[in-house]
Amino acid sequence: MTAAPVALIIDDEIQIRRLLRLALESRGYKVHDAAAGQLGLIEAVNVSPDVILLDLGLPDMDGLEVLKRLREWSDVPVLILSVRDHESVKITALENGADDYVTKPFSTGELAARLAAIRRRNVMESQAEATLGHLQIDFSARTVHSRGEEVHLTPTEYALFKILARHAGKVVIQKQLLREVWGPQASGQAQYLRVYINHLRRKLSLTDDSDVKLINEPGIGYRLIS
Amino acid sequence: MNSAPDERPDPDALLASMQREETQSKAGKLFIFLGMCPGVGKTFAMLQAARQRYKEGVNLLVGLVETHGRAETLALLDGLNVLHRRKMEYRGRILEEFDIDAVLQQRPDLVLVDELAHTNAPGSRHAKRCQDVLELIGAGIDVYTTLNVQHIESQVDIVRQITGVAIQETVPDSILDQAHEIQLIDLGVEKLLERMAEGKVYMGERAEQAVSHFFKEGNLTALRELALRFTAERVDRDLEDIRRSKRVSSPWKTSARLLVGVGPSPYAESLIRWTRRTAGRLNCPWLVVWVEGLRSLNSSQQETLTRALGLARKLGAEIVPAAGDDVASVLLRVARERNVSQIVVGKPESRSRFRKSLADRLIDESGDIDVCVIRPLASGKTPAVSTMVASPAASLVGQYGWVAALVFILTSLGSGLATVAGYMVVALLFLLAVVVAALRMARGPVLVLSALLALSWNFFFIQPSFTFFISKPEDIVMFGLFFVVAISMGHLTSRLRQRERVESRRQRETAALLQFTQQAALATGPANGVPAALRLIEDLFRIEVALVERSPDQSLDQSTRAVGSRQPAGKEWGVINWAFENRHPAGRFTDTLPDSSATWFPVQTSTSIMGVLGVWLPRETSLDFGMRQTLEAFVLQLALVLEKEHIIQAVNRAELLEQSEKLRRTLLDSVSHELKTPLAVIHAALDGLGEDGNPYVSEIRTANQRLQRVVSHLLQMTQIESSVVEPHREWCDVSDIVRSAQESVRESLAGRMIELSVPPDLPAVKVDAMLIAQAIANMLHNAALYTPAGTPVQVSVSLAAGSILTIVVRDHGPGLPSGEEELLFAKFYRSPGSPAGGTGLGLAIVRGFVQAHGGTVSARNRPDGGAEFTLALPVETATV
Repeated sequence: MTAAPVALIIDDEIQIRRLLRLALESRGYKVHDAAAGQLGLIEAVNVSPDVILLDLGLPDMDGLEVLKRLREWSDVPVLILSVRDHESVKITALENGADDYVTKPFSTGELAARLAAIRRRNVMESQAEATLGHLQIDFSARTVHSRGEEVHLTPTEYALFKILARHAGKVVIQKQLLREVWGPQASGQAQYLRVYINHLRRKLSLTDDSDVKLINEPGIGYRLIS
Repeated sequence: MNSAPDERPDPDALLASMQREETQSKAGKLFIFLGMCPGVGKTFAMLQAARQRYKEGVNLLVGLVETHGRAETLALLDGLNVLHRRKMEYRGRILEEFDIDAVLQQRPDLVLVDELAHTNAPGSRHAKRCQDVLELIGAGIDVYTTLNVQHIESQVDIVRQITGVAIQETVPDSILDQAHEIQLIDLGVEKLLERMAEGKVYMGERAEQAVSHFFKEGNLTALRELALRFTAERVDRDLEDIRRSKRVSSPWKTSARLLVGVGPSPYAESLIRWTRRTAGRLNCPWLVVWVEGLRSLNSSQQETLTRALGLARKLGAEIVPAAGDDVASVLLRVARERNVSQIVVGKPESRSRFRKSLADRLIDESGDIDVCVIRPLASGKTPAVSTMVASPAASLVGQYGWVAALVFILTSLGSGLATVAGYMVVALLFLLAVVVAALRMARGPVLVLSALLALSWNFFFIQPSFTFFISKPEDIVMFGLFFVVAISMGHLTSRLRQRERVESRRQRETAALLQFTQQAALATGPANGVPAALRLIEDLFRIEVALVERSPDQSLDQSTRAVGSRQPAGKEWGVINWAFENRHPAGRFTDTLPDSSATWFPVQTSTSIMGVLGVWLPRETSLDFGMRQTLEAFVLQLALVLEKEHIIQAVNRAELLEQSEKLRRTLLDSVSHELKTPLAVIHAALDGLGEDGNPYVSEIRTANQRLQRVVSHLLQMTQIESSVVEPHREWCDVSDIVRSAQESVRESLAGRMIELSVPPDLPAVKVDAMLIAQAIANMLHNAALYTPAGTPVQVSVSLAAGSILTIVVRDHGPGLPSGEEELLFAKFYRSPGSPAGGTGLGLAIVRGFVQAHGGTVSARNRPDGGAEFTLALPVETATV
């Protein structure tokens, strides 16, 4: 039996902390919390959490700053939890190493699903094979099977799909997709991406009502959810 | 919303320079139909060419064509768009003139304006029709016009030599240089005379005799030659340009540069024309040098000089004012400084045996510079030479009175002194008097005084007294020396004094300019600096001024108060606006709207125009060339000062805006934090309770959802109101946006069919996905709220005209209350009978977000029932 996952909540609102603690403990997490950025960073060292929930509006320092300092030494999955809902804030956080972003008010069910997804990231990255709904992916053979039948993907399509699948459940920002598939020069040309995303949706039957969906978060990026 | 609005320190300057570049690049083209004299068929040829263009579909306007009742010309006008002439009354006569404003308003591609050399009726905007034409070209309109060779400014002298007729209506050569094409309309002399005999040539309103004199065969042949040669020279020059542009080294003497020295003489204009013609032939630059000597000019000389320099300016010369009392050395100095290859001077009228003429001196001292001595013609308007001493006459009479009195007093004093100290001392006393007088008086009286004192000394004091006879040889020598010393001292002193006067005037101007710059640079704001600067100008020139500044949006506002001691009268505004728009001086003493009471100078720097400065001179004075130049220097300084102020203001404004922007954002962030946190707590807590079927919990949940919506609507509306909304455009897929909108209002849509239709080939568009998704979500939410449960909602997306993205949301509800289609988008508006639970902000937010994209939103009832909301967004589309 594996030890209970440890979550660290960094938020200045005591009610939010209490509620998150209740919600997460009921889902089997061991919860620590901190009311300010500095304290949060110290706790992160002390308890070595498996996942961190970070608010952006902290009294002593900006949440982004906490994130940057954390990323200097740790790659623990971080979920941003904030009232700021503008896409540029989200993108900035994601670019600075956050794994996902949830805006307040949030539903606890959704929050738990996102937490699970970002914790799975590390597992997915090291796996040779994975199953997502009706799709089986073999990362070593570079093949994708849909309902048992192999789907032929072009190298670009496969590269794109691989990144989305490795981060399944988590949003991947456009810039990252472009950079990793087309190289550093392509980061301004989002229209390529859109064409290939549509190819993937068609070839892998990732429709809105299927068990695996490839959804777009306008202005931010794409998320593969099952 | 996060990126600050694009505030640069001074976008004005940038915009202005871009606009100017734009206007330069799209300046209209000028086509001139040139003939040797009336009757060769210029107008006819012009109309034929115009008809050809008309057939090609060019938007053509006949601005003004003189048909002189010829049927074949009239026939060519048939079917063309002919402008009505402007009627104006002048001294009881109704005059018809070309209506430039109507053309500028209609903005055709091509306009026909006959007779370029025409002088407009008094009261027109411009003195000359060619100025109208220049303005039209400047406005980007092509112009066809006609011209006879005798009206070309530089050819006037030659025409006068040929025909004996002095031409009054002239066109400066510079306008011909601007012509895109000059087409020569040629006709044989015999043919022309034949046409004349048939009465096909319009003779004008001149006396029959003068006309028949003009149209003599010899004259016509000479004029024809002139026209042909003029055209040939031009063709030659074009050819040369082409060759030069193709070859690096050219066989031509490209370093040629002409210099002509002019003064206030009636020959100046002729010299200037000659130089212009030669410079034109050599295709080289030319300078007009005016030597400001020691003698101050009387008003008619001043006028002659100003007219000559005005002509030079019109003909495209560079005018170089220089100062010095020796004209020859000044001319040579300027010539060496400016690398001139040839100096042009007039032939002296009479040769003096004793004094070298200017031409002789130049020839002697010019070294490697060519000197060209020509015989100029006196201009038609000969200034009255008799008025040489016009204004200071009264004071001169006074001075001669003083001379008489001085001679009397000094002689009496001398007679007393002579008995004590001898007659030699008297001579010294007299010399002293001459020197002192020279400091006070003009040269004439001083010379008279010297002469009278010498004679008095001889008559009263040299033995034998009371005769002019001198017995002793040393006395004869003394007398001679006294005479020479007195006269040369008087002469030298008065020259010194005049030089000092010129210097002190220059110094005063320079000092004032310096003071002006310092004052303006140190002033704390425009409120202090500019009025002080204007007062300085007023005091220096003894004039009244008014400065009309432009408003921040680059336009002149008639209601702005002018700074300065005078306010422009209502009718001055036409001139002010013209000077502002055309960036050219206008009003009194200029060729444009000269009837106005003030001269208006545009206050401009190389990049932008800051306003217009009006100058009122005292009634009897005129604006001479030197004063105009100094005044223009001040105006430029003023422009720099104003520009500096504008830039400082723009920077301050930008900083202020940034500050308040930051504050607003912080406030919004903290308010939204405070409002949303408790909502989040309630939401999470409700989630924690789970779906246990407790009806109270589900009521709280509904209320919480409503509260969340209200809060987010209020926050979004605040953002729109405080214009923090700045679309962050990214390439997006419209169907993704609609899907995400649908997702966000899933709960209120509860089980309705959303029929989405997006063309499969719809390209990616550049919009702020989040804002548009929010707008669509609000419309979907409204549809859910106002239509019966279960009815479908249709969303169709299309791309109109390649760049207008339209998103239409149709429902199948009861439709909109009629007449409220516009009201729906107003803030807090809720149509009567709306179900509870709305904020009245949803559609206002839709409109705010759409308008931030530069788009529009509208609502209507469909004929087959239900309401229809349409978003139209101008977008950039991808071609991939």
